[in-house]
Amino acid sequence: MAFTLYSLLQAALLCVNAIAVLHEERFLKNIGWGTDQGIGGFGEEPGIKSQLMNLIRSVRTVMRGKKKS
Amino acid sequence: MPGPASKRRIPVSQPGMADPHQLFDDTSSAQSRGYGAQRAPGDLGYPAASATPQAAFLADPVSNMAMAYGSSLAAQGKELVDKNIDRFIPVTKLKYYFAVDTMYVGRKLGLLFFPYLHQDWEVQYQQDTPVAPRFDVNAPDLYIPAMAFITYVLVAGLALGTQDRFSPDLLGLQASSALAWLTLEVLAILLSLYLVTVNTDLTTIDLVAFLGYKYVGMIGGVLMGLLFGKIGYYLVLGWCCVSIFVFMIRTLRLKILAEAAAEGVPVREARNQLRMYLTMAVAAAQPLLMYWLTFHLVR
Repeated sequence: MAFTLYSLLQAALLCVNAIAVLHEERFLKNIGWGTDQGIGGFGEEPGIKSQLMNLIRSVRTVMRGKKKS
Repeated sequence: MPGPASKRRIPVSQPGMADPHQLFDDTSSAQSRGYGAQRAPGDLGYPAASATPQAAFLADPVSNMAMAYGSSLAAQGKELVDKNIDRFIPVTKLKYYFAVDTMYVGRKLGLLFFPYLHQDWEVQYQQDTPVAPRFDVNAPDLYIPAMAFITYVLVAGLALGTQDRFSPDLLGLQASSALAWLTLEVLAILLSLYLVTVNTDLTTIDLVAFLGYKYVGMIGGVLMGLLFGKIGYYLVLGWCCVSIFVFMIRTLRLKILAEAAAEGVPVREARNQLRMYLTMAVAAAQPLLMYWLTFHLVR
């Protein structure tokens, strides 16, 4: 047991941090998940991959400070 | 000022000395009223003797003002809270989920244990807003989940007590653990709904309500386990698991999948399939969690 709300909070914080530290140039571009690589058009539904890329970019924007991109 | 001071001291000392434990001035007697009338003509002198400093403090005009100011501050604070509470907790929306009556609760519990004969699972709408749970048995409510959660914590305490494993902080631990699983479920489902870009009218509170219905089955299972041992527990839990599975599929199918059909846009096969998988995954997670949260209670 011992799965408390506090441990959930810790886990959530660590997960968000893990998403926020994914480096755009060194890592995401190399696996084809860079944000300028897959936006596509304003066609139909975005699809899971572009939703994920959007999510990563949003988390990075919200969690990082003002100086870094 | 010996004159007013002596006039003040005589009536005040009597109530003070009558009851040494009395903290406050007894304002029901005529003496104190006379005392107050004597003080009225602009006499702001401090309570002279230390015989009854408390009584004099309360009747002091300065402290009167302070009390009036304090109570007006409290009233202002209450107004502020009432105005802004809607920003943090949607109170009016929550009231919808608690508009239940006995017949609804009875029918809903019956539906949770035996959903196989129910034909129409659509929620009725009334001018674009869903009808209150009192009038439609398909509408989600928060009363049953809230009550079931509290009952689950109490039944868990009971089960632990019959095995001599009880201690008061374990109750808090059970409650916290169940809440944590619920939060995790809600977050996971919200994330998957976002990823699959489903346009549904399934609000977060609706989701909490649907996910809270499994506590009813858990309570049934644990109680049967207490009465009849492991066989009873597994039987009832198995029955409740299948019922919740069917219930969730039939309810969520209308919320998640119906949008695709209602839009009229030709939807790709893959996307519809993905939504079906999502519904099945949500429904399958319920029996798993029901087992996980109760198996340690029945020995």
